[in-house]
Amino acid sequence: MRVVLSIAAKDLRQRLRDRSAWVIVFVAPVLIAGLMALAFGGDTEFRADIGVVDLDHGPAAAGLTQVLTGPELRGTVRVREYGDAATARRAVDSGRAHAAIVVPAGFTRALRGGSPSPVVVLDSVDHGLEAQLARAVAESYVAQVNADRLSVATAVAAGVPQEDVPRLAARAALLRLPEQVRPEGMADDPLEVISYFGPSMGIFFVLFTVGFGARGYFAEQQQGTLDRIAAAPVGRGALLLGKSLSTFGYSLAGLATVTLVSWLALGARWADPVGVAVLGLGMAVAVVCLTALVIAVARTERQAEGLASVVVFGLALAGGNFVFASGTSFMHRLALFTPNGWALRGFTDLGTGVRGWAAVGAPLLGIAGFCAAVTAVTVLLLRLRRTP
Amino acid sequence: MNDAAPQPVLDCAHLVRRFGDRTAVDDVSLRIAPGETYGLLGPNGAGKTTAIRMVCGLLRPDAGTVRVAGLPVSTAAGPAKRLIGFVPQEVALYPDLSVRENLRFFGRLYRLPRRRLEARVAEVLDLIGLTARARDRVDSLSGGMRRRLNIGAGLVHAPTLLVLDEPTVGVDPQSRHAILESVTRFGEQGMAVLYTTHYMEEAERLCDRVGIIDRGRLIAEGTPRELVSLVAERDRVRLTAVGDLDAFARACRRFTRVEGAARGGDRDDVVEVVVKDARSLLPELLDLAHRQGVHVRSVEIDEPDLETVFLHLTGTALRE
Repeated sequence: MRVVLSIAAKDLRQRLRDRSAWVIVFVAPVLIAGLMALAFGGDTEFRADIGVVDLDHGPAAAGLTQVLTGPELRGTVRVREYGDAATARRAVDSGRAHAAIVVPAGFTRALRGGSPSPVVVLDSVDHGLEAQLARAVAESYVAQVNADRLSVATAVAAGVPQEDVPRLAARAALLRLPEQVRPEGMADDPLEVISYFGPSMGIFFVLFTVGFGARGYFAEQQQGTLDRIAAAPVGRGALLLGKSLSTFGYSLAGLATVTLVSWLALGARWADPVGVAVLGLGMAVAVVCLTALVIAVARTERQAEGLASVVVFGLALAGGNFVFASGTSFMHRLALFTPNGWALRGFTDLGTGVRGWAAVGAPLLGIAGFCAAVTAVTVLLLRLRRTP
Repeated sequence: MNDAAPQPVLDCAHLVRRFGDRTAVDDVSLRIAPGETYGLLGPNGAGKTTAIRMVCGLLRPDAGTVRVAGLPVSTAAGPAKRLIGFVPQEVALYPDLSVRENLRFFGRLYRLPRRRLEARVAEVLDLIGLTARARDRVDSLSGGMRRRLNIGAGLVHAPTLLVLDEPTVGVDPQSRHAILESVTRFGEQGMAVLYTTHYMEEAERLCDRVGIIDRGRLIAEGTPRELVSLVAERDRVRLTAVGDLDAFARACRRFTRVEGAARGGDRDDVVEVVVKDARSLLPELLDLAHRQGVHVRSVEIDEPDLETVFLHLTGTALRE
């Protein structure tokens, strides 16, 4: 074990004396992740300013305001009240409000059987997403009100006395429609840009370690030091383990640096620190496996350099390192063939509040599968090579 | 009283190694006793490096065995490898590490305890004259210093057998002298040394015994004096001339009394001819030169040496 540690320590010392390696693995990912976070704006959370115009002044209209200020939309929606539709329109046009909901006069009365008046949503092309939210909330609320009206109308048709209608209407208002339809697995928190691009850039630049490791191996072969090690009582296993350990340690240090800086200085948030650490470990193992594959395929330092570049950019493109939250469904499927794609899926889940095995289970299995496949190919290639 | 010969430090028996159709080492056997310096002498491509790679466990023989102090050597990490110090032909060091860090690293590979390692590093630094440069990076050293450190890295673990593969190739005269002095001291200290070279004068100066290898075969072996006695009846004629000397050397070989002829020596304008009776053949050689348009400027008739031996045994010069 002492020999393994000596080889690993020597390799690490050499890498840490290489300034370009410092820049690529430690400095560049932090800088680029920070720049991306800045480019997407310092406040990356979604927040909608929605105006409410209450022309009804009844309990049904008050209910809408309660929905907008309720716990489900707290932090996402800020409510502004306006006295009339024209004032609300001006606020939307000037951008002071992103959208506004106008509750017409007689809205509560309609609940008791009167003729219904439409709820109007005032929106602006500049804030489409916020307008969509306002429409969704209004439609949901109107659907609830319509359900209440239907209940009351049914009771009246069944012969309930007229004096009992207000009491029935109040009771119907307490019966809620199914709360909401939420896609399975969707997390509660919004994903912040830095929570994605921090690890994304860290992983992308740590993939360059594949090139450092492979080139270092061939450089040693060329300068004769590999022969010198082989002439000593050092088994091939100890040599490979020592070199793998240095690659693993270096990759892990790079990822840890970027993750810590993203968290402490750039405001990234992940629900589960253990999950973050586990994904980092998984990626570092994947880098070791990829380094071994490049060494097994290449014959010279130059070939190793070229092959490592293809691997790095191929994986980064396929795995979605440059695309926030993974883009198209084709890209989603393609990312499943890459360890970085799986790791980013895990970081995305952790960044949206998913915890534990639910966040990292599938990514870890995906990374393990990739490593197993790469290792199998590497072993096969090394066996096909003529032994000395 | 035990009259048996001491166990050899190195015992190679019937080594064979092929690369495709080419046999690089063909049935080579040699033994080196404790404290003995053995020179493996041969031209480039003769099989010297292949032979020592098998000795050091870097290459698996197709046939034959290698034992160091009775322990079998293999490409695996066996105990015999602890006894071998390998100094490759090229400078095999880490240029971005310091002199001391290089020595420490190679010492750790042999599992030296920490205190012993530090003591050995200090000793080796002193031996190779680099104590003052111990903290400097290797890439800041001169070529000669790197060569000395290259040898030092093979000595840190105090090997029983030191294997040096042409350690003076491309070295300036001063560093070369220092290296040869060091090798002489290793032998005096009881270390067995296997030294490959294609410089005759190095082999004559350093080696207790010399093996001559050509086209993979060990064609002669003995002390330099024994080898020279093989050609005691022969003369070496050195002709300094201008013209097509390769064609002239080939023509010389057609004489039945000529045992070898080749361009050689330290200069390009020399043809060396090994003959039984130089004085009787000399007029015919000069006549041949005249007919071939070769202008002979001077003629020397020398006592035979290892170069003569090689020419006699192989018919060609060592540096061809």
